[in-house]
Amino acid sequence: MELFEALGLNVKILLAQLVNFAVLLFVIYKFGYGPIMKVLNDRQNKIEKGIKDANEAKEKLVEIGNKEKEVLAEARREAQEIIKKAQAIAEESKAEVVEITKQEAAKIMADTKKKIEQERAQIMSEVKGEISELIITATEKIIGKKMDAQEDKRLVEEIVGGIK
Amino acid sequence: MELNISLAPDILFYIGSLPVTNTLIGSFVISAVIIAAMLLVKKRLKKDTPGKFQNLVEFLMSGAYDFVVSIIGSEKKAKKIFPLAFTLFIFILVANLATFIPGQAAVTFNRGGESVAIFRAVMADYGMVFVMTMITVILVQIVAIAVHGPFGYMGKFFNFKSPLSFFLGLMDIVGELAKIVSLSFRLFGNIFAGEVLGAVMLFLAPFLVPLPFMFLGLLSAVVQAFVFAVLTVVFVKLASEIEEEELVEEASM
Repeated sequence: MELFEALGLNVKILLAQLVNFAVLLFVIYKFGYGPIMKVLNDRQNKIEKGIKDANEAKEKLVEIGNKEKEVLAEARREAQEIIKKAQAIAEESKAEVVEITKQEAAKIMADTKKKIEQERAQIMSEVKGEISELIITATEKIIGKKMDAQEDKRLVEEIVGGIK
Repeated sequence: MELNISLAPDILFYIGSLPVTNTLIGSFVISAVIIAAMLLVKKRLKKDTPGKFQNLVEFLMSGAYDFVVSIIGSEKKAKKIFPLAFTLFIFILVANLATFIPGQAAVTFNRGGESVAIFRAVMADYGMVFVMTMITVILVQIVAIAVHGPFGYMGKFFNFKSPLSFFLGLMDIVGELAKIVSLSFRLFGNIFAGEVLGAVMLFLAPFLVPLPFMFLGLLSAVVQAFVFAVLTVVFVKLASEIEEEELVEEASM
């Protein structure tokens, strides 16, 4: 093989170069390619995770904001309801109070009327007694003599009764 | 002064029966440099706060990785082929660029009265290129067998359905062999030609005139490293793809 000789091909040298290249390949694979690619992948994963987390956080924030609004709206609605209820209750109790007051007033009115009636009756009788007495005294003075007290009284009462 | 150009690398000395050539030493030195750099990276690898050096390495690696993914179209396949493609690229690149370190040609070794250059462009040694090419080509065959199965793989080359497909099958064998030649001689030819051109220019006009050729050599140094690695990826991609025809055949079976 003249061509091989001319090119300087020698099986032993070829083997040596093959081994040399294999070692080089192995070292680059083991210490260069492997670790560097791992580092690059790790970093990429980390960045992707960071971005994903950030997006999730953003979404959650929006969600929380919406929930907050919802809760606020709910609270406002409930407050409105409570106020309405309270108003209704107040209205009702107001009517009740008015009713009770009216009744009470009517009762007081009636009581007062009765009392006045009684008092008048009492005053009337008292006045009657006093008048009789006055009449007796007056009559005594006029007549000048005193009748039997019992007889007198009976007579006067008879008269007064006649007057009435 | 005489111009000394040899197609084969020069043998410096023998260790036992192993002839040590200048390119063999060169490839060892370059491997050692790359390994040292990788160990340095590994040692100073920081997870979250990369330094400038680590940033540069990360940028190179992730850029190369994304490029491989864009070629091969699948993250899973890219993960498998990337270490080899990247190693090929870095090794060829560093080996090619190392030839531009000035003063190397002056370092010679005295072998029985005649002086031999110790440094020679590693890729200007067909042996080294041949080894890398064989790695790629054999890998491609392995991938093809793994994807298509041993019979599917053989069936691609020995197809008895019709005379035409039989002929095309034989052509495929030629194609596979041509891969070895095209892949290896592209790299070897470019670098060796660059070396020879540089040497001739230096010989004819040592000042300024060789400069444009050196720029050209710099360009081809990067491009050839890139092309070799990318072709490796492309070959593997082609081998790992199941063609539609085959899918139809499998389905109808």
